[in-house]
Amino acid sequence: MAEYANPDVLVSTEWVAEHQNDPAVRIVESNEDRALYTQGHIPGAVEIDWLIDLQNQDIRDYVDRAGFEKICRANGISNDTTVVFYGDQNNWWACYAFWVFKLYGHERCKIMDGGRKKWQLDGRSWSSERVSYPPTSYTAPEQDKSVRALRDDVLKHQKAGKNLVDVRSPEEYRGERLHMPEYPNEGAVRGGHIPGAVNIPWPLSVNEDGTFKSAKELEKLYCKTHNLKRRSPTIAYCRIGERSSLTWFVLKYLLGFGNVRNYDGSWLEWGNSVGVPIVKGGQPSASGETPAGT
Amino acid sequence: METVTDRIDRIVDEFADLDGREKLELLIDFANRLPPLPAPYQALKEQDAGRVHECQTPVFLWPEISSGGMTLIASVAEEAPTVKGFVSMLAEAVADRPQAEAGDLPDDLLERIGLTEVLGMMRSRGLQAITGRVRRELAAAG
Repeated sequence: MAEYANPDVLVSTEWVAEHQNDPAVRIVESNEDRALYTQGHIPGAVEIDWLIDLQNQDIRDYVDRAGFEKICRANGISNDTTVVFYGDQNNWWACYAFWVFKLYGHERCKIMDGGRKKWQLDGRSWSSERVSYPPTSYTAPEQDKSVRALRDDVLKHQKAGKNLVDVRSPEEYRGERLHMPEYPNEGAVRGGHIPGAVNIPWPLSVNEDGTFKSAKELEKLYCKTHNLKRRSPTIAYCRIGERSSLTWFVLKYLLGFGNVRNYDGSWLEWGNSVGVPIVKGGQPSASGETPAGT
Repeated sequence: METVTDRIDRIVDEFADLDGREKLELLIDFANRLPPLPAPYQALKEQDAGRVHECQTPVFLWPEISSGGMTLIASVAEEAPTVKGFVSMLAEAVADRPQAEAGDLPDDLLERIGLTEVLGMMRSRGLQAITGRVRRELAAAG
């Protein structure tokens, strides 16, 4: 595979610089560190925060359809706007926001390859000006369930022995990092991984400059080394669903996997759930693993 | 001279009545005021000493006690202005005060300055954990 399956889904920093004032394009920043946007963003970019804007803590879920429409309307996004996402941390949160936009069926979504890091490396300028756009009358459909796996979907998927990709660090996967000291809230009561999941840590998909690895390198990693099949249903997960939305993006758009979902509940839900199996230790082929704790 | 508690109260006053964006701007001011890492610590940092391993972003803390009182020497990655601003706030609060006041660093500082709503609970808990660590290490140092 010489090219990405959907090359149009990625744009370069140069493309973004050329489209800063294009009314058909809205540039959206989504970060781990909220102060970064205030400190400096791509001129004309709006901020949509994965936590404050896209989640509803009262129900521990995403905003509902009306909530999503409200965000788009307020940020001058119409149904036919091309939305380009970028952010810090190799675009984790940008991919996460992209994923939520796909959950609500927004058609024209792109990722700026390399995110904030690449924009900075390319020596492009930042702006700290407040931006606002005229409100739109955005309308969203109901959630597209084909991109999202819930806990019971994952349980069924796991029992059927289908592709599961754990994108966390090897230590988290093996269950050696049971809890994070000082961060009890983000910990899970059990350490390990979902039986049958292969461990492909997310950083293996990106280069030093924050851009995605080439189609050839990605294909080698996912399809050859780990033997994942494009036509087999696949679910990716991490700790809270952000790193795995980057892997979901890689599998679906760059490698062209036909059926891939992000398990956004991820280890924080699975590791704490009653009645679901886990295993500790290395990759399935190495350990000959059998479920424990069922 | 202001005590740790006086300084915390002053910081809380500075943040009062600001909107979310202004609070982040003030936080960035604090981040910009964090002194550069003194040369002797640069070598320690390169050896990964002082690293707060629980933080995803590189954060290095050296809570120390000298005859002049407490000092929080710190280095936080440029790409993490929120953490950097918060650490800088703690450093300003404890600077040159007696070790006995280490325990006066409050756990609810982020809440009192109104940043928990801007940052969300997931990010806030990580920052609050830094306060606990600094307080414990300052109390135990020397």
